[in-house]
Amino acid sequence: MAEEKKGRAVATTTAAKIPKFVRGNLSATLKAKEEGKKVAAAFIADGQDEIMRAMDIVPAWGESFSGVCAAKRDAEKYLQKAESDNFSRSLCTYATCNIGFDMIREEQGGAMPEGAPWGGMGRPDMILGNGQLLCDPRFKWPQATQHYQRDVPVFVTNMYYPPWDPNVDHHDQEAIYVKYATEELRETVKFCEKVTGKKMDWDRLAATVELSDKTWDLFIDTYELRKHIPTPMDTGDAMNTMVPLTFNLGTQEAYDFYVDLKAELEQKIADGVGVADPEKYRVIWAAGLPSWFALGDFQYFNSKGVVFPVEVTYRGCEKVERLDLPKTTDPLEHIAWRWVRYWTHWYDAARKRPGSTPKVERIIEYIEDYKCDGAVFHSAFSCRSWHAGIMQQAATLKNVYKDIPILIMEGDIVDISSYNEADTHNRIDAFIETLAAYKKRQG
Amino acid sequence: MTELRDGNGLATAEKLYTQYGSRARELKASGKKVIGYLSALGPVEIMTAAGVVPIRLKGNVSEAISKGDAYMESIVCPFVRNVFDAAVKGKYDFLDGMVLPHQCDSIDRTNETWSYTLKLPYWHFLNVPHVTDDPSITFMKEILRIFIGTLEKFTGTKITDEAIANAVKAHNENRKLMRELYDLRKSNPPLISGTEMMKVLVAAMSLPVDESSALIKAVTKEVKERKPAAGKPAAKRIMLIGDQIDDVAVIDAIESAGAYLVMEDLSIGAKMYWEDVDATADPVQGIAERYLRKLKIPTTFVGSADTYEGILDERFGQMKKYVNEFKVDGAILFIYKYCDPYGFEVPAIKSYIEAAGASVLYLEDEYSTSSLARVKTRIEAFLEMIA
Repeated sequence: MAEEKKGRAVATTTAAKIPKFVRGNLSATLKAKEEGKKVAAAFIADGQDEIMRAMDIVPAWGESFSGVCAAKRDAEKYLQKAESDNFSRSLCTYATCNIGFDMIREEQGGAMPEGAPWGGMGRPDMILGNGQLLCDPRFKWPQATQHYQRDVPVFVTNMYYPPWDPNVDHHDQEAIYVKYATEELRETVKFCEKVTGKKMDWDRLAATVELSDKTWDLFIDTYELRKHIPTPMDTGDAMNTMVPLTFNLGTQEAYDFYVDLKAELEQKIADGVGVADPEKYRVIWAAGLPSWFALGDFQYFNSKGVVFPVEVTYRGCEKVERLDLPKTTDPLEHIAWRWVRYWTHWYDAARKRPGSTPKVERIIEYIEDYKCDGAVFHSAFSCRSWHAGIMQQAATLKNVYKDIPILIMEGDIVDISSYNEADTHNRIDAFIETLAAYKKRQG
Repeated sequence: MTELRDGNGLATAEKLYTQYGSRARELKASGKKVIGYLSALGPVEIMTAAGVVPIRLKGNVSEAISKGDAYMESIVCPFVRNVFDAAVKGKYDFLDGMVLPHQCDSIDRTNETWSYTLKLPYWHFLNVPHVTDDPSITFMKEILRIFIGTLEKFTGTKITDEAIANAVKAHNENRKLMRELYDLRKSNPPLISGTEMMKVLVAAMSLPVDESSALIKAVTKEVKERKPAAGKPAAKRIMLIGDQIDDVAVIDAIESAGAYLVMEDLSIGAKMYWEDVDATADPVQGIAERYLRKLKIPTTFVGSADTYEGILDERFGQMKKYVNEFKVDGAILFIYKYCDPYGFEVPAIKSYIEAAGASVLYLEDEYSTSSLARVKTRIEAFLEMIA
């Protein structure tokens, strides 16, 4: 127990600003009406951030609100409400939590449900979905929501990237995908212009896209400081510090946040301050969304000397120069290239290692760069998007790279009903024993 | 294939249903290349034009998943898991390749699990968009052309537009024949039972198109020769809605409880057979339009109408039509667990069909008969309720 009490040496102080970001995003949706702005129910990593920001459309992030409900362990009432109208518990709980909340508000004639976490989220004027490769709920959730908010128009765009096939050169297909994504983004702009009654300011959009590029670069520069031993920042923190990149892309506030975070990490490195003291094992969070109601599990890892200097989850960007984007004066085409190349830029590496895949290649790159000893995956039962295929990734990682210790945790993102802290900690303990044996073998 | 002759259409269908894939196995032995595919989005016209034998894959609801779980998560669609399990166990060891159309996350996210585990000579993930606007049609044509290119490379044979146009005609004819068979379900009682119909649908999806058409013709002729039986006045006429239900277990539960299964909106049934490919100057254009805009499946987004009611008509209008044309009293919405595309539609479909005048029972279940007793009880209670 003494070891546990020593606990996590430090969380970043910059991360303490995150609740303000999240609350700010929620309250913006509530204040939008009086400010004459339109609110769009929106989804992260859909490529539509800059369009919304350039048109003063206030995004209402359903995933964020459901995450807040989960973190406050206050999602059950919304999940039950959705379930009462036959939304299964096996569906995406980000969606069902949010739909349950919407159902209650509609039943109350638009009045905010009592006790809504952090004041709740504003009713949208439009819903921007995306039938992309990221997940089915991104276009099914909007349709389901519209059943209760029938006056709210839904627009679903589509952004794909070439599928991985070791026998096919994806470069031949990229232009087709970029053209399609660009046209779909243009359709999004037309829809937003129709709902807002305002024309897109293309210069402003270009400036917003440029700011996003800068933010992507700064994010990676900042996160790569975590390669340092001991690492100055853990995935437990990153699940918070992802907020500006994920929910506020294209804003100066997001960029400034990473300026501060970078400065703090540099100072920690200069001071020799790490997340765990001593730092015994370095592990990658290789895939999966976290259980928002159990983020304390990261501290449990830290208390045992295990740190996560890197994670795949919510690292939704890359240094732009590494993507080798073709030059274009069309900001929508630039977004499309950035999106497509973000996903495909591990393909060439995967093709060089027989049996590998881009997802595994990405994990290997991080393991090498961040000097990790093992990998942890999290499988959330209600989300197929991020969590189906994890077993394949884990097996491939062992086959094509090394027989490193791997832990696949099981739980959910929002639904706490399947979570058992004692069992989880027992599994973590067993994993740490495996890590210890592995490191001993490695000498 | 068992030789078709007068009066043995249903028996042939029964055999092909029971020994699923047996004809494809025969064709493979005779030197044909056999390509398996999943879902209603498999562009059979192009596979037929390529000269390969397309077979839509199914699992076995009576067999527990015993090997597939070593590779694929239990949060994946139970249908996909079951088919994968069957493939891993060697049920489809005659396949030369597979096509996985991008229907849903359960297919998309397990693409590598399938391809890296099965290691078939040919593999293609067909990246079908979820959106149906004009840029999506253009994109769909592009990815169909990519698909055609990979098949040409695999077979070593050029797939001409003429071959595609001919295949379109053959599959349209096949659909027309099946719709004629569906017509025989409109009488009271229907001339063909739900279990018989299911066996025909399953048998048909395991055959090359010409053989499938011959089978349907034989069954239709045989069924038409039946004398109409006296109807059970109290028997309720039921419609089944869902994705790939490809076994008679649930249908038998409905019919053994005294109801008639007179119609379905399943991905191996009406969803497949109701809409043809338009003959277009570029045959790929018609194929793209059918699979994106005409197929009524929940993973192709439509929503262009000005009102919510109009949007519902766009999405589910065919179900209302079936309720009226087939005089449906009640609908059973049978959705697999972990299915986001169908699961998020349940409240909308339920209220839409109820507004059309039919009661609705919603069941969420596995692709397995392990829970059949519970399903039967729910169905019996539903039939009592609407009696």
